[in-house]
Amino acid sequence: MIQKKICMLGSFAVGKTSLVRRFVESIFSETYHTTVGVKIDKKIVRIDGAEINLVLWDLYGDDDFQKIRWSYFQGSSGYLLVADGTRRATIDKAIELEERARKEIGAVPFVFVVNKCDLVDDWEFDPEMDARLAAKNWTVLRSSAKTGQGVDEAFSQLTRKIVG
Amino acid sequence: MGSAPQRSPDPSDTGPSMADAPKNRPPNAPRDESSPNGSGSFEELRHLILAPEQEALERLHERIENPESRTDDVSGVVAEAIQRRREQGGSDALSEALAPTIETALRESVRKDPATLADALFPVMGPAIRRSILETLRSFLESFNQILDQSLSWQGMKWRLEAARTGRSFTEVALLHSLVFRVEQVFLIHKKTGLPIAHAVAPAVAMQDPSLVSGMLSAIQDFVRDSFHTGQSQGVNRMNVGDLDVWVEIGPYAILAAVIRGVAPRSVQDRMAETLEKLHAEYAAQMQSFNGDAAPFANANKELSRCLEAKFKEDSQPRGYGYAMVAGLLLLTVIGGWLGWRWWQYHRWNQLVETLDSQPGLTITSLAREHGRFVIRGLRDPLAPDPQKYVQDAQLDPSRAEFHWGAYYALDDPLIQQRAIAALAPPPGVTLSVKDGILRIDGQPSAKWLSDLGSRAILVPGVRAVDLGRFSPGQIAFDEAKTKIQATVVRFPLASSALSSAERANLRSLAPLIKEVLNSSATTQGTVTIEIVGHSDSTGAESANQNLSQRRADRVAWELIQLGAAETSLRAKGVATAEPLRPENNDENRQFNRSATFRVVVPPSNQP
Repeated sequence: MIQKKICMLGSFAVGKTSLVRRFVESIFSETYHTTVGVKIDKKIVRIDGAEINLVLWDLYGDDDFQKIRWSYFQGSSGYLLVADGTRRATIDKAIELEERARKEIGAVPFVFVVNKCDLVDDWEFDPEMDARLAAKNWTVLRSSAKTGQGVDEAFSQLTRKIVG
Repeated sequence: MGSAPQRSPDPSDTGPSMADAPKNRPPNAPRDESSPNGSGSFEELRHLILAPEQEALERLHERIENPESRTDDVSGVVAEAIQRRREQGGSDALSEALAPTIETALRESVRKDPATLADALFPVMGPAIRRSILETLRSFLESFNQILDQSLSWQGMKWRLEAARTGRSFTEVALLHSLVFRVEQVFLIHKKTGLPIAHAVAPAVAMQDPSLVSGMLSAIQDFVRDSFHTGQSQGVNRMNVGDLDVWVEIGPYAILAAVIRGVAPRSVQDRMAETLEKLHAEYAAQMQSFNGDAAPFANANKELSRCLEAKFKEDSQPRGYGYAMVAGLLLLTVIGGWLGWRWWQYHRWNQLVETLDSQPGLTITSLAREHGRFVIRGLRDPLAPDPQKYVQDAQLDPSRAEFHWGAYYALDDPLIQQRAIAALAPPPGVTLSVKDGILRIDGQPSAKWLSDLGSRAILVPGVRAVDLGRFSPGQIAFDEAKTKIQATVVRFPLASSALSSAERANLRSLAPLIKEVLNSSATTQGTVTIEIVGHSDSTGAESANQNLSQRRADRVAWELIQLGAAETSLRAKGVATAEPLRPENNDENRQFNRSATFRVVVPPSNQP
C-alpha cells in the first residue's frame, strides 16, 4: 500500500486537530501537541480503487508560545492549510505559512481549508481578501469540523492532488 | 610457427584469401623450372617464406568469423571456466549473473510441462515436508513441556496469580519472566518522511500501527535534533521506558529502530548497524527516491527479521522438578485426605444403616449420596423406633439424612407382641408374649376374655398360633365354677336341716356349675369330687351339733342328687363347730355358721 505523509498547517485554534479528529481514529493523546509539538494519526483513503495510507502530522499551531517545528514538515507529500473563517488574521497567517512551506520543501500539493463554515455569518471575508485568494489560484474548500461538512472532501482532494 | 605445416589436400582448407596461391599445387611440391614469368617467381618466393603464417592467420580469422566454430570452442571450456571462477571465490557474482536465467528457465520449464520439474523434485519434497512437520511438532512439544513444567511449579503458580491479577495471559507473564531480552519489533523508517519502509515483529507481541509509531519515532528524532541543535546524522540512539528499550541506528536515508524488552547485549546493536548498512547498500537508490510505496522493499523484511533476537533464562530443571514434586505431593495429600474423609463419612453412614437394619420393624434397601445428603430407603413398621434417634446417637448430622419409607408389618417377635397387646387389650394382670410368632398368655385372664381369643389373636399380623397353655377354656370354666361353688353358703334355720325355698332356688342355680365341675374336661385325668361340709353354731351339745351338721350336709347332697348330680361324686360331711365360717362373736355370725359349704376336691395329679 502506498503511504503518504501529509501535514496540517495553520494558526493556533483554527481547528486542525478537530478536522483530524473528524477524519481518523487516533491512538496518541492530544497532549503530544504541547509536549513534542506534533500528533500523528493515520487514515486509509480510497482513490479510484487504490488504497492510500495517509499519515497525518498534525503540527502544533503557530502562536506566541510555540512556533511550528518546520523539521516536522520535511518529507511531507502535501499539506492541508487551515484557516478560521471567523478570524481574518488566520487567513493572513495561512498565506504567510504557504510561502514558508514552499521555502522549506518546495512546491508540494496543498488544499486551503477555511474552517468553521458552520459560523459563516461571522466570517471576516471581504472582496479584497477574495481577490487576493483568487489571484493565488489555490484550491479553497470550506469545512466545518463541528458538522463534518467538507472534511472528507478536503482530505480526498489533497490525496488526489498528491497521487494524481 | 617455426615449421611449415604438413598439409593434406583438404578442400575445406581452401578460402577466398588463398586466391593468389596455385590451387592445384601443394605448397611444398617441386618447383616448375619452366615458368616464364618473373613476377611469378616473386610470388613463389613470397609463398615460400610466408605461406605457413598466412595459412595460420587465415584459419584463425575463419574461426573467429564463424559463429559455429566459436560455439564449439566455448562449449569445450564452459564447465571448466565456471569451476575455475568458483575456485577463485567469485561464486556470488556468478550466482547473481545466472540467477535470472535460471529462474526464467525454471519458470519456462514449469510452463511447458510441470511434470518434469515435479518429477525431478519428487525425491526431495517428501523429506523436506517430513522435516518441516517434525520441526513444528518438536517445537510444539517443547513449549508444551515448558508450560507443563511451569504450571506445576511454585513459580508457575505465582505467575498464574500474577496473570489473574494483571489481566494478562499466562503465556505472556511466563514469557516476560523467563526472558533475558527480546527484540520485539524492528522498524526501518524513511528518514525524510518518517514513513515505515519495512517492519518486523516477533510472534505474540502486541503492536501499534507501524506507520504511527514510525512517524512518532522520527518526530522525536526531529524534536531532539531541533531542540539541541545537533547534526542531521545524530539523534536519539536510546530511549528507555521501564523494561522497554528503543534502540535507534541512524543511516543516510533511513533509520533502524528496535523495540527491546529486557537487557540486550551490545551484539544486538552491532547486528542492527550491520543490517542498516546492508540495507543501504542494497536499496540506496530506492530509499532516496522513496515515495511511500514500500513494494520495492519487500525483501527487506527478511533482513529485519534477523534482528528479532531473543534470549531466555536457563531453566534450573532440578529445582523446578522439586517444586513440581512438592506441589504434586501436596495435591495428592489433599486429594487423599479428601477421599479419606469422604470414605470415613460414608463408612459412618453405612454403620448407621447397619444399626437401623438390625432394628425390628426397619428394613433398609439402599443408601445413596444425593446432592450432599445421605438418602436411605427402606420399609418401616408403624411400631418401629424413630430412625432419627439413631442418627443423633451416631452423632451424625440429622439434616443430612433423608428417609424414604414404605409401610409394612414386621414379623419380629417384639413387634408382633406390641401389635397383639394393642389389638387384644389384655385385662390387668394378664401378660402377652410372642416367641417365633406364637402368642403366649400369662396371668389371670377371665374366661370371657379368653373365650374368643383364639380367633381374634390369629388376625393380628405375625401371630401364627396362640399357646393358651393351662388357660384352656374348659380349665377356666372349671376354675370359675369351682370358685363360685366354693363361695356358696347354704343357710339353715336354728337347729334345723330344712332348706328354705330361697336356698333351694340357690342350689338350683348352682346345679349347672356342679355338673360342669364334675363333667369338666379338665378332670378327665382324675375324679373330681365335691365335698359338702355341714356346719353348726357353737350352741348346744357337740354331739347334737355333729349330728345336725351331718344332716345339713346330707340334705344338700340329696337336693343336688335331685337336681342331677351323680351321687358318687358327692361326699357329705358334718364338721359341727370344727370349721366355723365366722367367729361367733355376735348373733349374725352365729347364724351364718348354721350352714353348709362346698369344697371341690381335685386329685393331686390333676392339680395345675
